[in-house]
Amino acid sequence: MNRITNINFWILFPAIVFVFFLMPLVAVLSSLFGEYSDNWNHLYNFVLFDYLRNSAVLVFGVSVLTLIIGTGTAWLVSNFNFFGKRFFEWALILPLSIPPYILAYTFTGLFDSYGTLNNLVRNIFELEQSYIFFPNIRNIFGAIIVFSFTLYPYIYLVARSAFLNQSRSTLESGRILGLNRFEISFKLAMPMIRPAIIGGLMLVIMETLSDFGAVEHFAIPTFTTGIFRTWYGMGDLLTAMQLSSFLLILVAIFLLIENKSRRNAGFVSDSSTHSPIQIERLNSRYSALAFVFCSIPLLVGFILPTSELIIWAIYYNPSFFDDRFLDAALNTITLAVVAAVLCSMTALLINFSVRINKNKILRLLSSFLSIGYALPGLILAVGIVQTTTFIDSNLLNKSSLALTGSLFGLVLAYIIKSYALSNNTISSGMEKISIGIDNSARVLKSSGWNLLGSIHFPLLKTSFFTSILLVISEVVKELPATLILRPFNFDTLAVSTYIYAAEERMRDAAAPSIAIILVGLIPIIIITRMIRSSRDKGAM
Amino acid sequence: MMPMLDLENISHSYNEERAILSNVSLKIMAGEFISILGPSGSGKSTLLRIISGLEKQTSGKVKLNNNIVSDDNYHSPPEKRNLGLVVQDKSLFPHLNVLRNVTFGIRGKKDRDNIGKDLLKLFKVDQHEKKFPNELSGGEQQRVALARSLAPKPNILLLDEPFSALDDDLKEELYLETKKIIQDKKMTVLMVTHDKNEADIFSDKIIFLENGRIK
Repeated sequence: MNRITNINFWILFPAIVFVFFLMPLVAVLSSLFGEYSDNWNHLYNFVLFDYLRNSAVLVFGVSVLTLIIGTGTAWLVSNFNFFGKRFFEWALILPLSIPPYILAYTFTGLFDSYGTLNNLVRNIFELEQSYIFFPNIRNIFGAIIVFSFTLYPYIYLVARSAFLNQSRSTLESGRILGLNRFEISFKLAMPMIRPAIIGGLMLVIMETLSDFGAVEHFAIPTFTTGIFRTWYGMGDLLTAMQLSSFLLILVAIFLLIENKSRRNAGFVSDSSTHSPIQIERLNSRYSALAFVFCSIPLLVGFILPTSELIIWAIYYNPSFFDDRFLDAALNTITLAVVAAVLCSMTALLINFSVRINKNKILRLLSSFLSIGYALPGLILAVGIVQTTTFIDSNLLNKSSLALTGSLFGLVLAYIIKSYALSNNTISSGMEKISIGIDNSARVLKSSGWNLLGSIHFPLLKTSFFTSILLVISEVVKELPATLILRPFNFDTLAVSTYIYAAEERMRDAAAPSIAIILVGLIPIIIITRMIRSSRDKGAM
Repeated sequence: MMPMLDLENISHSYNEERAILSNVSLKIMAGEFISILGPSGSGKSTLLRIISGLEKQTSGKVKLNNNIVSDDNYHSPPEKRNLGLVVQDKSLFPHLNVLRNVTFGIRGKKDRDNIGKDLLKLFKVDQHEKKFPNELSGGEQQRVALARSLAPKPNILLLDEPFSALDDDLKEELYLETKKIIQDKKMTVLMVTHDKNEADIFSDKIIFLENGRIK
């Protein structure tokens, strides 16, 4: 029974971090208790119901499509042997490296009336220039396709893991009780992994609601575009914050469902009695069908957009090394590395603090810090602007905007948004270090910084660097918070891509988009290694 | 003569329903080897954790070398108590080689490597000084753990079933060697074990602990 008898760094540090994470949230939510301006009349009469309807249609459409693609592909690669299965196991995650806004930009280039694919069809079949084969993609249905084909890996990953963790004996009991192979899948296997799938689905929904770049490009009025327009178009920050609060409450509901699903995800067998599921070989007809089914998401979500980007980059715009690209790349990588190192160090210090203090409040506080991943970047940006303005005008020099105009807010936003990634990586690494090691070190007069530096950090090096890589790839993709919080004239790769696309210069967006995707491949490589190592063990 | 370790009415419980230790009092003089014998769940290991400072007792007083290190108002952490501790699972640091493991607890001494090498020689593992723990057998790992615990010259050595994971032949060999080293160094030792034979071989005095009480 360790009690905290005195305040020290290991107590103070998590408390300070907690305050920094809490301030933007409080700043946004406090707007609910402020005045409601006349702009609410305009919102209520003209756009609010559009925001609600479009957000609901998007969420519904994306949910249905991601469930079909994510669960279907996971079911196939986990339960059957077919041509290309080993390739699809990891390749199906590749679309995760493409942020929805980049897929939206490339789809515009591919499917526009005079885009690459329509031109191709006209040329092949020698059709008239006015003939349009592929329909217009810049609408809500196009957005549903864009989100579904970039976000389905969230469901694929959890569903695959849950399928692999199912017990063979449970499924065999079903066979003995008279169910055929497909009844086993639909009456036993699918219901058993339902909590895991719901958890993945909630992540998909939160990402869909949080997106700004893709819906803005397709000109679909949703909550996020509404917040942006209210703030920058109407110049009404308070109303924008009130809108943000409603979206935040909505996201919080999905976050609660996701947490509950994660706790219930244990319909799978426990490890002590686990026997891996039996993999069946499909005959050639079914094998071909499985191959086609798994190829579609890979083709639409990765191969098509990357091919288009590569073609643009090679044939139209070899701008990889112009000043604008190099400046944006340097800014991005500097910001990403700084944010990733700070975020990983924060997660390391807080996890270490929780470990040595064994304090329930600290543990709770540490779990609270992980909710940042669910916060839409736009809302986070709104909250941080409010916070830095408050600090500037009340605590620092009133006449200057020392914090508001600096990179401080941007780095803080990245840390808050990516903390969950660092925390998960480092805490799972720390759990593998036996508590006996700590005890031995403490008896040998090692504690605090010495214990962290000489024992924990060397043992956590891999987790620490994995965390840095994961955060870098997350930061490089982040658009809405960067767009709002960046200092004047400070472009990143994501911002460059957004600006080019907003100016309808899709081909110019190719170079920064490819760079973002290449960095986005880092976590895919890490996950692929995990999948490979799990293949022999039968679970991931 | 002042006792090296003095426990006064140590009681400990995790909840009100079941006491792990009840009013345990014990004195160990310098150079004594005392074993606490008892079945699993009798509170032996908890008592060692309380003495080492890894856990704080619910009530009672712990004195080391006549200084209070823990009572109702004060609790000195393990790193301040100058103790040696060897546990059943050895807990060697996996990222440090054998020599670095042994010298880990030696602070600010120029000849720390020599001290470490002497101890490795004493425990007959000097040929493994560059190896990492996963390259050693169970017996070799336990020798390294014992050497590591003696390196900072602790006031008292606490042994928590240190030989229980070893096979019988290895145990006998290590018993004799460890006993000789401890006697030569005139160490004060408190060992907990459930093995009566082990307690007989080493101890000046054997204490029985059952349901958290000394019998």
